[in-house]
Amino acid sequence: MAIDRSSSNDFGRPLRRLLLAVIVLVLAGIFLLWRIDSPRVERFRAQITDRFVPNLEWAMAPVTGTVNLFRDFQSYQRLTVQNQELRSELRKMQTWKEAALQLEQENARLLDLNKVRLDPRLTHITGVVQADSGSPFRQSVLLNVGARDGIVDGWATVDGIGLVGRISGVGENTARVILVTDTSSRIPAVIQPSGQRAIIAGDNSAAPPIDFLENPDLVRPGDRVSSSGDGGVFPAGILIGQVAADPGGRLRVRLAADFERLEFLRVLRHHGSEKVNEDAAVIREDGPRLIAPLPIAPETE
Amino acid sequence: MMDDLSTLRLWLMRAAFLLLALVLLFFHLLPLDTQPIALFAPDLSPPLATIDPAEARLRALLDQGSDRIWIAPDLLIAFALAWSVRRPDYVPAVLLAVAFLMTDLLLQRPPGLWALLALLACENMKTRGRTLRDSTFGAEWLAVSLWLIGILILNRIVLSLLLVPPPQWSLSLLELGMTILTYPAVVFVTHALMGVRKSAPGDLDSMGGRS
Repeated sequence: MAIDRSSSNDFGRPLRRLLLAVIVLVLAGIFLLWRIDSPRVERFRAQITDRFVPNLEWAMAPVTGTVNLFRDFQSYQRLTVQNQELRSELRKMQTWKEAALQLEQENARLLDLNKVRLDPRLTHITGVVQADSGSPFRQSVLLNVGARDGIVDGWATVDGIGLVGRISGVGENTARVILVTDTSSRIPAVIQPSGQRAIIAGDNSAAPPIDFLENPDLVRPGDRVSSSGDGGVFPAGILIGQVAADPGGRLRVRLAADFERLEFLRVLRHHGSEKVNEDAAVIREDGPRLIAPLPIAPETE
Repeated sequence: MMDDLSTLRLWLMRAAFLLLALVLLFFHLLPLDTQPIALFAPDLSPPLATIDPAEARLRALLDQGSDRIWIAPDLLIAFALAWSVRRPDYVPAVLLAVAFLMTDLLLQRPPGLWALLALLACENMKTRGRTLRDSTFGAEWLAVSLWLIGILILNRIVLSLLLVPPPQWSLSLLELGMTILTYPAVVFVTHALMGVRKSAPGDLDSMGGRS
């Protein structure tokens, strides 16, 4: 019997070795291809995700709901105390509500006088969070809206209060949002009231650090951080959070969005800021001129 | 007849492994963990309550007390290794490669690299399965731990060489620790609940013909 077994194994072994070698080569090839031509493989990844995840929706929704229900039990314990506090706060709020209503009416009258129109191009598409990144190393979520709904790479995603992330990877029915906490996230931002420009660079912690700040002395904790729109793909003026400092003295952003439970996200449609097409003129004199009117005028005559 | 039954069981178990991988992937992808691990979160110095009491109050109300403080172990590789040691024929290389590549793609890892390393670890454990079969569980645990550490380091080296930013050390080490610690439980589940056991010499005969 023992002889039988070993002989049959000897027979199969070279074949198995060959198969293993082929698989290893294929895997290594995929990895190298990804390293060389990342966008193509990432598109393939988006397609696979697009095929795979929506099929699990029927099972994911109830399981997620159940888990969240159990998590809620923890907060139910504080319910009565919270309820009393909220009642007393509500009484105070009533007076504020009156004040706010008056202000709203006044504001409406003033807006009417000014004929102000809000930017009609900044509309949004709401998506439901279908899945998260699945690993603690990456911070991203998958939305159930995709190319079908006109989603474009680079658009901003907010949760109603503040910036959540940026679309990166669009499938037919799904789109991936890289959260601002992800290590690959870089958001150009402006800090008010000092007007300092900076980059919010995610580092996989709940409060991303502020990078490339020109003059940190002008920035105070509690200052408002919002997106600056530099780079053209991202709308300006979306609230990101407030400036705070960590124990090491590094400036970080306390994010405004609530990342604890992301369920519905708004993707802001953005049709691009004005582009500088004639960038050659910035570098070379003989390139097309950026500050056009004066030199061009004689040529057209 | 006997042969048919065992072939059927063989394919059933292969399908079962693929199903297991899908279930693990499913639980990874559930949209529950949308915030970073709170373990390394720095304390931000001016507390929110001093700057903006209303906002702090609102956050306290919305806080569901579900901070993310632990990292799930990488159960897929633990199961793959446990199955590889016990029944190499249930987890052929192709199956392992497909399962790992699928997780690579869906969990936003650089595709292929982790799959390749994990496959190599599993294949090595398969060849060692014969010798490990007769030794104690401690030896198997040690071998598995060494392989897990080995592929973690190899993964980082390759990524660094190709200028891909490797994952955070702290998180990787935590995950590694969790995986090694849960390995005995994984083996218990594999052995007792899934019925994947080291084959006794008598069993192997029916499988003997398989390559």
